[in-house]
Amino acid sequence: MIDAGATAIDEGTLKGGGAPPSRAPSSALRSPWTAVIALATLLVALFPVLSDDLYYQNMFILAMVFAIGAVGLNIITGYAGYVSLGQGAFIGLGAYAVGIGVTKIGGSPWVWVPVAGVLGGLVAALLGVVAMRARGHAFVILTIAFLFLLQLLATNWDGLTNGTGGITLPIPTWSVDYQYWPFYYALMGLLALSLVLSWWIRRNKFGMGLIAIREDEDKAATVGVSTPTYKILAFACSAAFVGMAGGVYGYYISFVDPLGMFNILLSVQIILSLLLGGRATLWGPVLGAFIIEWLNETSNNEFSGGNARLLIFGGLLALTVLFLPHGIIPTGSHWIERWRTRGKAGLAGERLTGIDLQERSAPQPRARALSDTPLLEVKGLEKRFGGVRAVDGASFAVPEGSITALIGPNGSGKTTVFNLIGGTMSLDAGEVWFDGQRIDGKPPWQRAHLGLGRTFQITRLFPEMTVLENVVAPLRGFHLGLLGANAVSGREAERAEELLEFAGMRKYRDVRAAALSYGQQKLVELAQILMLDPKLIMLDEPAGGINPTLIDRIGDMIRELNASGKTFLIVEHNMPFVLGLCNPVLVLARGQTIARGAPDEIQRDPEVLDAYLGEDFSVEQPVGA
Amino acid sequence: MTEFLQALILGLLIGGVYALLASGLTLIFGVMNVINIAHGAFLILAAFVTWALWRATGLDPLAAIVVLTPLMFAFGWLLYNLTIRPIRRAPPAASVLLTFGLALFLEGIMGVIWGNTSHSVRPPYANDSFRIGELFLPKDQVFGGLVAIVVLVSLYLVLTRSWLGRAIRASAVNPQGAELVGVNVASVAALTFAVGVGSAGAGGAIASVLYPFLPGSHYQWIARLLGIIVLGGMGSLPGAVIGALCLGVAELMTVTYIGPEWATGVPYVFVFVVLLLRPQGILGTRLREDVATA
Repeated sequence: MIDAGATAIDEGTLKGGGAPPSRAPSSALRSPWTAVIALATLLVALFPVLSDDLYYQNMFILAMVFAIGAVGLNIITGYAGYVSLGQGAFIGLGAYAVGIGVTKIGGSPWVWVPVAGVLGGLVAALLGVVAMRARGHAFVILTIAFLFLLQLLATNWDGLTNGTGGITLPIPTWSVDYQYWPFYYALMGLLALSLVLSWWIRRNKFGMGLIAIREDEDKAATVGVSTPTYKILAFACSAAFVGMAGGVYGYYISFVDPLGMFNILLSVQIILSLLLGGRATLWGPVLGAFIIEWLNETSNNEFSGGNARLLIFGGLLALTVLFLPHGIIPTGSHWIERWRTRGKAGLAGERLTGIDLQERSAPQPRARALSDTPLLEVKGLEKRFGGVRAVDGASFAVPEGSITALIGPNGSGKTTVFNLIGGTMSLDAGEVWFDGQRIDGKPPWQRAHLGLGRTFQITRLFPEMTVLENVVAPLRGFHLGLLGANAVSGREAERAEELLEFAGMRKYRDVRAAALSYGQQKLVELAQILMLDPKLIMLDEPAGGINPTLIDRIGDMIRELNASGKTFLIVEHNMPFVLGLCNPVLVLARGQTIARGAPDEIQRDPEVLDAYLGEDFSVEQPVGA
Repeated sequence: MTEFLQALILGLLIGGVYALLASGLTLIFGVMNVINIAHGAFLILAAFVTWALWRATGLDPLAAIVVLTPLMFAFGWLLYNLTIRPIRRAPPAASVLLTFGLALFLEGIMGVIWGNTSHSVRPPYANDSFRIGELFLPKDQVFGGLVAIVVLVSLYLVLTRSWLGRAIRASAVNPQGAELVGVNVASVAALTFAVGVGSAGAGGAIASVLYPFLPGSHYQWIARLLGIIVLGGMGSLPGAVIGALCLGVAELMTVTYIGPEWATGVPYVFVFVVLLLRPQGILGTRLREDVATA
């Protein structure tokens, strides 16, 4: 009975499993590669039928286990930038789920494979919850602790796992003529599904958000990416198929024990597969996995395993990090690209001049009277860093439709005020009201959805994304369906190009953001914020560190956007720029707002002069002009 | 009560050894933002060398610190320049993976040289105990703990009183700034790594007496040390000491009241609880991330 069920399920996966890898994800690599991938897929799919060599069947099976692990790992490590040294734990978890299910409850191991997948996804999502607060190194440590903790539980929880004695699974009951076929095609099917998932994520908003998180998580939050949701879903996606593969793998080797299943070397092999093949690529993890399994066999056969495996994989890990940090596929395509474009000149910097208002199709200017209703109002804002009161009771309002300036000496707390309003930092006391809502308890992405956009003093674009991707990355809302929307839809691309045109950066749409100059990055960041269609645009030193022509240009752009209805709050040290552009001007000193008024009033305010220059300084002429 | 007191005192003594080992790890992290996953392997290597010296010459393992510290210091300096220096501007994940690879490689080498069997160093006093009332304090643990504290205090003095210490701390707080005021940050980083590995040398010599070890023991050690620095606050030396004492006591309490087989789980629980409740650890500070990219 069990046999019949197993074969039936297996044939199902056979039909679904053979074809997809060659079909679906091939668009990620261009034409000559499609043929190579299709051929390799066909070869792997037909191998058991063509050859009855069990040694190679075993190798392919193990390679596919590594590959599924690595494709899953790629989702969090390659796309989202969270390095995990505990990915192998999900293989162990899946194997244990199947082992425990079969021995404690009963049924065919195949029935328990989907359960293993669900369990893997859920546990990974929990890890994602912890990772909401642990970034970078702390997260790596967490994954190591996670792997060892599971191993310890499997060792000590005798009642459930039979401790170090392990769990023996029933031997397959299908005819020996079928060899390992059921395992083989089940894993092939899972690998195909993993690849489809990885491909789907990469081409949609989901993947775009994950890459934004990898590049700059705080910045991603300020342009509307609800980072925890993205991370938790990504973690679940990274482990579900791995859990299932672990279940199949456990059944395949028919013995599940703590040392074998939670061996850290398994995690090393998975992460090596990903690194070697190429992070954030679709096929890199698969290519890497086949290389690693080949090395694995070689070390077992030629050097009798054990220490040799440690030397080979430890050494290879170190060497890969040192000499091939991007992996085979990205490095290879970089070389090909270099060879193709040799002798051609790059895109030269264009001289940016003041904008000609007639020439462009920009937001329609419409005249607006300055209203008295505040769009943004902060009351009694406080923020302490240890003993330093960076913001100490600042209160002010930004009238709707105004270009308000926030000036003050260095260290007066301007940028901190920005961070508190934008939500990058949490405040210690006070209230922030925006557009009639209290927003100080909301996370940054919700503030962005409400219409609050900000730039940073040191520009923070997503360096590895192109200019166009950077501008398209902001999200004006969040719902689950959005994750499946195209990363760059036609409509968005059009709007992004319009904004880039407005910023004078359209020529650079396909250039990596990291390759732009500082001033260019400022313009792109402004275009990026405009994509949010914000009601309030907060600019942190828009004129800092750029040349005078560009300053004029940015001033013109601000005026034009303001005329079309955008409200601005600007932090700036360039006084001629501020006084010529802004009204009202707010002055911050020692974390408090000490003055508010029209530019000419501010220039004469004795308290402001005192804050900037000290009380023993006497002025004969108005400063600033 | 006696049982509790015994566990507390032994926990604090072993905590002193942990503190020495964790200080090196947290120092390396603080100065160069590198989580040295190979720290456990370094200390096991030191333990094996101590064992080999003891076997060959009968040198007391605690006295072997005088040999092991400079030896491992030199080893650390060399390793830094050969492997970590080239990637010091790479993303932080690179150094984690690199040192992880080094740890595995070292484990393999130790396996080839000394075999994958359990070793321990047993000096003459290893089987004696001090008796104070009803308390039994094994002499090796008392000596080991005291020596670790002495080494730790001298490390602390070096860091707070010498030019090197100031340069190290300056490089930790602001590498660009340190460079501008004449500190060669790259060579300070090499020295810091060497100091860290040197302290692992001293700690490894002490640990060789306290615990049996084999090449694969380094996983358990690195888990312990990571648990300690996460609890104490990554990069904080006083934090490492507090975390180490907490772990030492918590481990001994687990052994006494729950069961020795669960003791290895204590550091993992530390990691999970701390990262969930207070990710910056006991003494860690949350940095202003908005200016960190400047």
